[in-house]
Amino acid sequence: MSVDATLPPAAGRGGFLASRTALAVVIAAYTAYTLGPFLWLATMSVRTTGEISADHYAWPRPFHWEQFRIAWVDSDFATYFWNSTVVVVAAVAVVTLVGAAAAHALARYRFRGNRILYGILFSSIIFPPQITLISLYQILVDYGLYNSLLGLTLVYVSLQLPLTVYLLEGFFARIPQDLFDAAKMDGYGDIEIFRRIVLPIGMPAIATTLILNFIQLWNEFLFAVVLITDPDKRTLPIGIRAFMGDHFQDIGMIAAGVMISVVPVIVAYVFFSEKLIRGMTAGAVK
Amino acid sequence: MAVVQLSKICKRYGSGGPVVVDNVDVTIGDGEFMVLLGPSGCGKSTTLRMIAGLETISSGTLSINGRTMNDVPAKDRDIAMVFQSYALYPHMTVGENLAFGLKRRRTPPAEVKRRVGETAAMLGLVPCLDRKPQALSGGQRQRVALGRAMVREPMVFLFDEPLSNLDAALRVNTRNELIKQHHRLASTMIYVTHDQVEAMTMGTRICVMNGGRVAQVGRPLDVYWNPADTFVARFLGSPPMNLFTVPLAAGDRIRTPAIDTALTRWAPAALAPLTGQEVVLGVRAEDLHLAAASTGSAEAGRIRGRVFAVEPLGAETLLAVETEGGAECTARLPRDTRAEVGAVVDLFFRPDAAFLFDARTTAAIPAQVRSAGTGPAGAPGRAGAIP
Amino acid sequence: MAGTSALAAKTEPAERVPASGRVSDPRRASWPVLLVFLAPALVVYLGLTAYPAVRTIYDSLFTIEGAERSYVGLANYRDLLGDETFWIAVRNTFVWAFVAPILDVATGLLLALALYAGVPFARFLRVAWFTPVLLSYVVVAILWMWIYNYDWGVVNEGLRAAGLGTLARSWLGDPNTALAALIVTHAWKWAGFNMVVCLAAIHALPSEVLEAAELDNCGWAAKLRHVIVPMLRPTLLNLYVLAFIGKMKVFDLVWIMTGGGPLWATETVSTYVYKRAFNWNTFDLGYPSAIATVWFGVVCAAVIVLNRIFKTRDRLEY
Repeated sequence: MSVDATLPPAAGRGGFLASRTALAVVIAAYTAYTLGPFLWLATMSVRTTGEISADHYAWPRPFHWEQFRIAWVDSDFATYFWNSTVVVVAAVAVVTLVGAAAAHALARYRFRGNRILYGILFSSIIFPPQITLISLYQILVDYGLYNSLLGLTLVYVSLQLPLTVYLLEGFFARIPQDLFDAAKMDGYGDIEIFRRIVLPIGMPAIATTLILNFIQLWNEFLFAVVLITDPDKRTLPIGIRAFMGDHFQDIGMIAAGVMISVVPVIVAYVFFSEKLIRGMTAGAVK
Repeated sequence: MAVVQLSKICKRYGSGGPVVVDNVDVTIGDGEFMVLLGPSGCGKSTTLRMIAGLETISSGTLSINGRTMNDVPAKDRDIAMVFQSYALYPHMTVGENLAFGLKRRRTPPAEVKRRVGETAAMLGLVPCLDRKPQALSGGQRQRVALGRAMVREPMVFLFDEPLSNLDAALRVNTRNELIKQHHRLASTMIYVTHDQVEAMTMGTRICVMNGGRVAQVGRPLDVYWNPADTFVARFLGSPPMNLFTVPLAAGDRIRTPAIDTALTRWAPAALAPLTGQEVVLGVRAEDLHLAAASTGSAEAGRIRGRVFAVEPLGAETLLAVETEGGAECTARLPRDTRAEVGAVVDLFFRPDAAFLFDARTTAAIPAQVRSAGTGPAGAPGRAGAIP
Repeated sequence: MAGTSALAAKTEPAERVPASGRVSDPRRASWPVLLVFLAPALVVYLGLTAYPAVRTIYDSLFTIEGAERSYVGLANYRDLLGDETFWIAVRNTFVWAFVAPILDVATGLLLALALYAGVPFARFLRVAWFTPVLLSYVVVAILWMWIYNYDWGVVNEGLRAAGLGTLARSWLGDPNTALAALIVTHAWKWAGFNMVVCLAAIHALPSEVLEAAELDNCGWAAKLRHVIVPMLRPTLLNLYVLAFIGKMKVFDLVWIMTGGGPLWATETVSTYVYKRAFNWNTFDLGYPSAIATVWFGVVCAAVIVLNRIFKTRDRLEY
C-alpha cells in the first residue's frame, strides 16, 4: 500500500534506504570500535616487540606463538595465573555457599529483623571500597594475613557477599512455598530442604552468580594491589601492572601477558555468552 | 482407618491479630470424603494446613484416631497432601518425585520401587516416569501430585484446591478420577475448594465455612435443601438462591406489591413472633415458573417484576427480573422460553419451595415440614418437586 | 529450642506453649537453624565489612604511623578542608560521576535501539558489543594507553592520516584532555552493559503499546521520544544511578593510565586516598581514613538523594 501511494513513495523509499544504510554504517563503525582494540591486542601478542616497533598495525608474520611460552614461563605469568585461579575459585566457592545459605534464610523464613538484616547486608553494595580498604590492610597485618593469598581470598568473599545475597534472595523468594510445605510433610528438615530442594532448583541463579563473581574477582585490582606485595603472590591484574611497570617498552610481551589474563574469560564467553551477559547484568535487568 | 476430630480449633496471627479460624468443631469419619467449602479467605485452607501440621494451632485440639496431634510434626502425622500448585519438585523426574517421600521414610528400595510402579500404573503415569514435571501436561502433573500422595498410603489425604489449575474438561475427568480413587482406597480425605460443584459432586459431607467459622456441616443435598443461613443458601446452587427482604404480614403470608405467597411450611406459632417484622424469603432459580399451572400447586406464590436480561444458554434460559422494590431475581426456565426485555412478568413457585431466614441473624427459620427430616428425609421428600 | 519457645510464646500467649520447633509453620525456623544459615554470612559481614568500616571512621580521629597512634580529634577533617588536592579530586570525581553516566546510558540506549530496529546479526552484535564489559580495568587501561600513545597510537595516527596532524597530542599527558580521555575509555568499557539492559527493557515493553503508537502514525523518532524513552524511564534512571555509583568509586583505570596526573587533572578521591595511605611515604593512615569517611558519607547521601529525586519505585540496585 505505502509503496503505491502517490506522493511519498520515492522520498519515503529513498529515505528508508538512506536510513538503513546510515544505520548499517553506524553499526559497523561501533563494532569496529569495540572489537578493533581487542583484535589489535591479539595481533601484537603474537609479534615480537621489535616487529611491533617497526609497524604497530601489521599483520603477524610469522605468528610468534612462543611469545606465550616466554610470558608464561620466563615472565612469571604462570605464577600470576595460578594465584588468580586459586584465590578466585576459592573465594567464589565460599561466597556462593555462604551467600546462598543466608539468601535462603532471608527469603524463606519469617523472623524478627529479617528485612533489616537484608537491608544491612545489601546496602554495603554502595560502599566506596576505601572505607574498608585502609582498615582491612591493618587488620590483615594484625592477623598475619597481609601479603597472603588466604587473606586476599577472605577479603574477596566479603566483597562479593552483598551482591550474591541480593541476587540469590530475589530468586529463592520466587520458589513456591508449596514445595517447601510438601518437603516438610515428607519429613525433610530445614538443612535437607536447603540441600535437596533449594540448591538444585536454584541452580540457574547460582550459576549466574558464580559467573558474575568469577569475572568481577578475576578482574579485581584495588584490594589485590594493597594487600599483596610479594611478587610470588601477585594475581594477574597486579602481575600485569607490575610487569608493565618494569618493562614499559616490551609491548609484545605485555600484550601476550594481557592475552593470558583474558583468555579464560573469552573462552567462557564463547561457550556461555548468554549466561555471562545475564550474570553481568543480573542486578540491573528486572 | 482414620477419624479426624477438630474441636474448638482456632487460628490467630499474633496475640492481637485477626482470628482467621474461629472455633471450628468438626469430626471427619473414617473413609469419609469431607469437603471444606467457602469463598477465599474463609479459613478453609488454614484449617487444612493446621490438620497437615503446616500451621500451628492457636487453641483447640486436633486428634486423629483419638490421638492428639497438635504437637506432632507434619512428617509424623501420616498425612499426605495434594497442593493447589502441585508442588512437584522441578529438578526430579516423575519417578523421583513419587519416591521422594518414601525414601525419606526409610522404606526399603524394593518396596519403594513396587509402590511407585503400582501407583504409576494405576494413574497411567508409567510412560512419564522418566520425564521432568515441566514436560508434562497439566492433567499429568495433577496425577503425579495425586500419585505422590497415594504412594505413601497415608491415613488421611488432604487436598488444597487441586483442580483449580485445570481447564474445565480436564476438571470433570479428574473429579471422576478422584471419586474413583476414594472408593478404591477408602481412606479419609479432606478436600478444600471454593467450587460448589466440586463440593456437591465429590463430598460425602461438606462443611461450609464463612469468615473463619463453620456455617454448616452435612451431606451435600441436605445442605442444599436445608441451608442453615442465607450465606449457605446463596453459596450452594447456581445461579444462587434469590433472596428478598420483605415484611411478614399477619396470617402467614407475605404480601408486597411484588411478592405474594402463602407460607405453608411454617407452623403459625413459629411465625407469630415475627409478624410485622422483616424476614428474608428465599426461592431457588429452578423453582420459578412463568405459568402458575406448571408449579403443580393450587396456590402458587408469585413474584412480579420487569425483565432486564434474557440469557438463552441452550439447555435452559435464564431470566433476570427486577422487582418493584428493586430486588433482582433470576429464574431458570425451559429452553423454549420467550421473553422480551422490559416486559413485566409474573414468576410462580410452589409455596413449599420457599425458604425463610431471619433478617437480623440470617439464620434459617426452621420449617415445620422438614423440621423432622433435617437428615436424609429432606432431600428425597423434595425430589418429586424438582422438575 | 528455647529460642523458638520464646518466639512461639509471643504469637500465642494463650493456654499452651507448644513443644515448639517440632510442629511449626514452615515459614518459621528455630533460632539454631537460622543461625546455621545466617552465621557464616554474618561473620564475614561483621568481620570484613562492618568492623573495618567502623574502624576506618574511628581511625579518622587519629594520626597513625605504624604502631603508633595519637588522638587528634577532628584535626584530620580540618586539614581536609584546606587540602587543595582533595578538592580537585572531589571536583574531578563529581564531573566524572555526573557527566559520564549520561554518555554511558545514552550510548547504551542508542545501541539497543539500533539492535531493536531489526538489523541482521543482532545476536552476534549484542555479544560483540558486550565484550569490553568482561575485560578488567587493567586490560582496558593498557589497551587505551596504547590507543592514546603519542607516537603510534590509533588516535594520533588516524589524525595524521586525515591530515589533521596538528591536532595530535599526548592525550593522557595533557591536563586539558586527560580527564576526557579517561571518561571515553570508561564509556567504551560500559556502553555494552547499558546496551544489554536497555535492550532487555525494550523487549519487555508491551508490544501492543508500540503497535498502538504505530497506528497513531508515530514516526521512528516520535515513537522513540514519546513512547519508548518515557516507558524506559525507570530503567534509564536505574542505569544512571548504577553508573553514578561506579564512577564515585573509580580507581583502577585512573591509577593505571595516569596515576591521577598530569598535574592532578585526573585525580579522583579514590586515587588520592590510595596515594595518601599506601603510596606517598607519609606513613599516616589517619588522614586517608578521614577522606574515606567523608567520601563514604557523600556516596551514601548522593545515592539516597538520587533515588529520592528519581523516585525509583524499586529498591536500589547494586
